[in-house]
Amino acid sequence: MRLQRGSALHGQADRRSEITRGAGEGAGRRVFPRLWVAALLALLTFLVIYPVFMLLLGALTDTNPVVDGIRLSLSHLSIANFLTVLANPNVGEALLNTLIACGGGTAVAVAIGLLFSWIVVRTNTPFKGFIAAASILPLFAPPLVAGVAWAILGSPKTGLINTMFKWIGWDLHVDLYSMWGLVFVFGIYYAPYVYMFTSSALRNMDPSLEEAAEISGASAFATLFTVTFPLIMPAIVSGMLLSFIVMLGIYGIPAVLGAPSNLNVLTTYIFKLTNWSPPLYNTAAAVAILLMVVTGLLVYLQQKVLSGRSYTTVAGKAFRPRSLNLGPWRWLTFALGVIYLLVVVVLPLLALIVAAFRKFMFIRDVASLFDMRQYSLMHFRSIFDNPLTLKSIYNAIEVGIITAVVGGALAFAIGYTIHRTQVTGRRAIDLISTLPVAIPGLVVGVAYLWAWIGVPGGLYGTIWILALAFIARFMPDTVKALSTSFMQIHRELEEAAWVCGRGMLSTIGTIVLPLARPGVLAAMTLLFVLAIRELGSSLFLYTSNTMVMSVLLLDYYEGGNVGKTAAFSLVQMVLLGVLIGGANWLSRGAAQRNVTRT
Amino acid sequence: MTATLEVTELRKQFAIGRPAIDGVSFMVPAGEIVVLLGPSGCGKTTTLRCVAGLEHPTGGEISISGRVVSSPGRGILVPPRSRDLGMVFQSYAVWPHMTVRQNVVYPLKHRPIGRAEANRMVEEALALVGLSEYADRPVVALSGGQMQRVALARSIVYRPQLLLLDEPLSNLDAKLRLRLRDDLRVILKQTGMTALYVTHDQAEAVVLGDRIGVMRDGRLLQMDKPDTIYNRPADLFVANFTGATNELAGTLVACNGGYGVVDFGDGRQGEVALLHALGPDDKVRVALRPENIAIGRPDGANTFAAKVLDRRYQGTQTAYSIELFGKRLEAIELGTAARHQVGVEAPVSLPRECLWAYRDRGPLSHD
Repeated sequence: MRLQRGSALHGQADRRSEITRGAGEGAGRRVFPRLWVAALLALLTFLVIYPVFMLLLGALTDTNPVVDGIRLSLSHLSIANFLTVLANPNVGEALLNTLIACGGGTAVAVAIGLLFSWIVVRTNTPFKGFIAAASILPLFAPPLVAGVAWAILGSPKTGLINTMFKWIGWDLHVDLYSMWGLVFVFGIYYAPYVYMFTSSALRNMDPSLEEAAEISGASAFATLFTVTFPLIMPAIVSGMLLSFIVMLGIYGIPAVLGAPSNLNVLTTYIFKLTNWSPPLYNTAAAVAILLMVVTGLLVYLQQKVLSGRSYTTVAGKAFRPRSLNLGPWRWLTFALGVIYLLVVVVLPLLALIVAAFRKFMFIRDVASLFDMRQYSLMHFRSIFDNPLTLKSIYNAIEVGIITAVVGGALAFAIGYTIHRTQVTGRRAIDLISTLPVAIPGLVVGVAYLWAWIGVPGGLYGTIWILALAFIARFMPDTVKALSTSFMQIHRELEEAAWVCGRGMLSTIGTIVLPLARPGVLAAMTLLFVLAIRELGSSLFLYTSNTMVMSVLLLDYYEGGNVGKTAAFSLVQMVLLGVLIGGANWLSRGAAQRNVTRT
Repeated sequence: MTATLEVTELRKQFAIGRPAIDGVSFMVPAGEIVVLLGPSGCGKTTTLRCVAGLEHPTGGEISISGRVVSSPGRGILVPPRSRDLGMVFQSYAVWPHMTVRQNVVYPLKHRPIGRAEANRMVEEALALVGLSEYADRPVVALSGGQMQRVALARSIVYRPQLLLLDEPLSNLDAKLRLRLRDDLRVILKQTGMTALYVTHDQAEAVVLGDRIGVMRDGRLLQMDKPDTIYNRPADLFVANFTGATNELAGTLVACNGGYGVVDFGDGRQGEVALLHALGPDDKVRVALRPENIAIGRPDGANTFAAKVLDRRYQGTQTAYSIELFGKRLEAIELGTAARHQVGVEAPVSLPRECLWAYRDRGPLSHD
């Protein structure tokens, strides 16, 4: 209630300042906002609407609208093609597999995420900071690298785990080239999404709600299930939906773990369709639409849950965290944290290191695992002998920089227009720029392929098509991240500059940008990293000239050489680590400078 | 059903800083309401939470009905759920995902009570707090005052032997606070429950408490009936905290039983009450309530000349700043008439039983 009143007041203030500004503006200045909105809308149409429209057209015809001309495509327009695709049993199977893999993975992710958020926020487990860090670490692992590492660990014949089991004498056999493997790897790598939602909900919860239950006679266990979890249910559900949505669009993990046993999910199936000869682009487009619809439904659901009444955000009050004394059990919860870190980071990393430095992946027994004569740098030498390797690294960084700079600038323009101006048409801008949330990366790739492949002298084959696809794909996240950075700057700071006689652009340049710089830099860094590791949309858009790292890694994997794949995975990880660390250092430096200045 | 609460030499030391509770002892006889009063950070809430078992004391002993529930020295620590007590929190702490009835029945579900009996008890508790018609509403649809009533019903529905209330009214707006305060005393007295109540609001303490304990810096300074606290405060801090905000410094020149003569300088002498043992030549500070200064009524021995410096009309009373012995004092006169003009010289009389002398322990100790 109080909150509503507050925002209503804000609204009034906004309107008032709008009026006072409007009064002093001449006719020429009134044209500018309209031009600005038109330009943004045109840009967004070019980036988002046009590719999606082409994709839709492709799904609904049996011709190529770009090659054969739009008129022909429109005349062939019918729902028949789409229905034929849907009736295809292979599509049904891929859809079913997708739902099972993502559903199972989500269940595992919820269990892990919820457990760790409880351990970190609500118990006296030792080294909680370490467990909290471990709980979000998997976010940085590129899915393809995780998939490759777990393939090395868990392949049914040569997997390191099976070799170990045999050596210890356990009659156990793991096979990660299966639905179980997919569920397991999905679950452990996407638990951080659930963790992030639930841990902040737990942290914001009034601890006396739980204390009241305990005073009432409920045991700690009963309190957890009758009070704590029901209260953070909105957070659990939205974390759950988010991890499901992300899993839906992942290509790398199912490509690696599903392929050997011919287990297809929607993403891998779409790629397969475009790789057949002749490529079935229309079918691929139809399946991509299917994937987009499923994702869109879930995104809608998640937004509904998020906008629904949240119990935990009662007031802006900081609560003293309540920590349950676990007694000796706290070492068990600590051990769980260590095991998770082991499974998610240490084991895969070790597997990659062994595979990358070993001449031959065949390991007879454990003794041979420690035989140093088996190790060499030959895989590294071999990947760097390939000129494509350096080119792909160079390309990836180039695409990353273009995406970060252009995407960052565009997102800032969009965010500012949506949140800080009253121009007509900003709702449309908001809507279109959030649309890509519901479009998995792979679908963006297919859509861009459809949109540009036949256009002569166009984008296809250049590095720009990759960058534009990434900009479109990550637009919603970037706009959101950037918006929070300048929403924290009080409006009055800007109004003060206007009163001093500054124009809007000059105010942005002298007040908003300098103050928001740490946030802007952080958002651009994130965009850069996301662009470098993006695989799903790159798959359809690269040519031999514009090969990027993530695609080349997949090439190595599909070429069947585990050693080279592992070696290149390590190179990629180190590179990502250095880039993230460097960018972090840069933006932290900016933040500190900012603090000392104010 | 109701029980005595006994707290002996309670101590709580957090990892850093001075102890939050520093040797607090008191007893609450069955059926009595005791209020712990003090400024924030004085240890009153920590004391209450130790009694609840939500906070673990580092020394001393707590027993309820003769059963020791906390005694770190003897390794005893009974968990909150086994202490059979009820608690009302400052933030209400009603569960927003349940209805009023679900909230109130919750404690009964964790006790061996049949459904019919449980329903009867819920109805009874809701009737007691006046929320019978709201039983099936979601709690989030209630106002703050109603939520706090739900919290109260939830904490008394199972007739715990002891009820703990942690600033239950401080989140409510002023008007509601007054009404619920009066209701609260009636309800508590109706159930006959032993209660420990924590607040920083002296008016609340006076209305609700059978006895009031004033705390400061982790120590219990005085625990007495409200009128004793107000008329014979144990030290300067208690006097000041309960509203005796005027202070005069002087030297004791003579003692005579419960009274003594103080020299306020320049040979101006007045008779004061001695609330603790003092001897001649002791430096003293004298506390005095604004309400007890009578302006313009020469009456008795302690009548002095003062000057009215400032006047603030407040409707049913008028606040004056006066100058007495070169010091600025506050005085309050009840009534709707503002009788004295600014700048006039007027005699003021200070009844000796309202002038409380305490040993001077250096600079103002309560700031």
